[in-house]
Amino acid sequence: MKISAALPIGVAALLFESARRRREVEGRLVSLFEAAGYAEVILPILDYLEPYEALLTSVSRSELYRFIDRDGEQLALRADFTPMLARLLAPRLGALSLPLRAFYRGDVIRYEEERAGRQRELFQIGAELLGVADDSAEREILRLFLEALNGEDGGVLQVVLGFAGALDHLLLEAPTDDPLALAAAVARRERGPVRRVCPRLLAVVESGLPEQPEDLGPVAAAALRRLLALCDEMAAAFPHVRLAIDLAEFARHGLDPRLTPAVGDRSYYDGVVFRAFAGSAALPVGGGGRYDTLFRRLGAEVPAVGFSLSVERLMDAAAREVAA
Amino acid sequence: MIRLALPKGRNLDVALAAFRAAGLLTGLDLGSRSLRMQLPGEGIEVLSLKDWDLPLYVEHGVADFGIVGSDVLAEVDGDLLVPVRLREGRSRMSLIGRGALPAAGSQVRLATKYPNTARQVLAGRSWGAEIVELSGSIELAPLLNLAELALDIVQTGRTLQENHLVEIETVAEVAACLVINRASFQRHRALLNDWIGRLEAAEVVV
Repeated sequence: MKISAALPIGVAALLFESARRRREVEGRLVSLFEAAGYAEVILPILDYLEPYEALLTSVSRSELYRFIDRDGEQLALRADFTPMLARLLAPRLGALSLPLRAFYRGDVIRYEEERAGRQRELFQIGAELLGVADDSAEREILRLFLEALNGEDGGVLQVVLGFAGALDHLLLEAPTDDPLALAAAVARRERGPVRRVCPRLLAVVESGLPEQPEDLGPVAAAALRRLLALCDEMAAAFPHVRLAIDLAEFARHGLDPRLTPAVGDRSYYDGVVFRAFAGSAALPVGGGGRYDTLFRRLGAEVPAVGFSLSVERLMDAAAREVAA
Repeated sequence: MIRLALPKGRNLDVALAAFRAAGLLTGLDLGSRSLRMQLPGEGIEVLSLKDWDLPLYVEHGVADFGIVGSDVLAEVDGDLLVPVRLREGRSRMSLIGRGALPAAGSQVRLATKYPNTARQVLAGRSWGAEIVELSGSIELAPLLNLAELALDIVQTGRTLQENHLVEIETVAEVAACLVINRASFQRHRALLNDWIGRLEAAEVVV
């Protein structure tokens, strides 16, 4: 009998040189995190489904590999590190000294549509900083994120920043009975519907920023000013990275319950949020943000900021730059 | 250099007319059979793609932006930006049959080349339903009893009339849309906003 070398769709084996290259990138990132004072945690690939039920949107639920164990327990393969780490740390926080700096590496596994570039198994590496409520946490994590990305020669590196709830005031003030649909239109930068319903959001759709911070209401205006300062500081420290604030990009990250979709982005971020794209193909290589309420939902009160990177996408971006 | 994907088929003429009205792509000659054309003066490369493939090219950033029908976009939607829709060439996505809608509780076969849209249309109805996926001549299905209903694009309605079919219910407005890759928008924001602004000024978009 002839044995096929085929693998299930969406997974890949790394043989020899590609394995060596992956370990090299991984090694560099681990050294970087350790030098910054982050300690490694190793998490299981298999976990109960039940603790995550409340955190799942119908989209993220459909992406999970779920099954019933022999003894009838519902289990799921790891699809995201952050909630798993949060769930494991929440009950132990009393015994740990804060701030806590942790990093992890490993595979996440998700059902993805069978389309080019949609892997089901992704190797991620990420870092989380717990116990720092002020802006210094965002500054530290963003700096580490940019240093991690900057070390790979993946061509142009683009980082988009925003924060959850930035557009809540404008979206809820708009004369519409469906602010969620308006948020979706802003996220897709649909000018027609936005112009008809809320012309003040048009500047956000076009340039990513309101005409003036005050348009966002007092709370979000203050948050935007802090983010502008952080963005300037990072731009000065990383002149080769293209940093931009774009509130439309995160329009679906509302904080008000009226703006929390039943179906939508997988998002537990409730403060600053960021995403990076690398290379001429602009591959999404990672992102992160602040997620204070995630711990609260798991019964612990601790502020947290973190990010994760997809190592394979970073390598892919670098390879495409070489080929181009 | 920025890459624009243009569709083959009926949306191509609509797209070109809109761009030219806005003073864009004036140097483009589509007479050749080339799949890739350079417009060095404008810093643009134009790709010629099939409608159904176009969103994927844009989602992957192979093309930075493109024009594609909202009918196709609803089927294969990645996470694309859709700033404007073209005014000309609009049509309707409709339920088509030989008479009225089947009564509640009926078992219905729905013929279409838009299975995802069909699923959404069926979600709110009190029928038992089956989707019959076809790739063309959808109108034949209700005519020859392969299905009770068809879900397809109606432009003038003449084909329907000639075949004694009825447009029973409009499900969605269909228009050619400008779509942009998220990361490309960040990278080429000035140029893309300029293009969108020109299309708006020429009043060829809604």
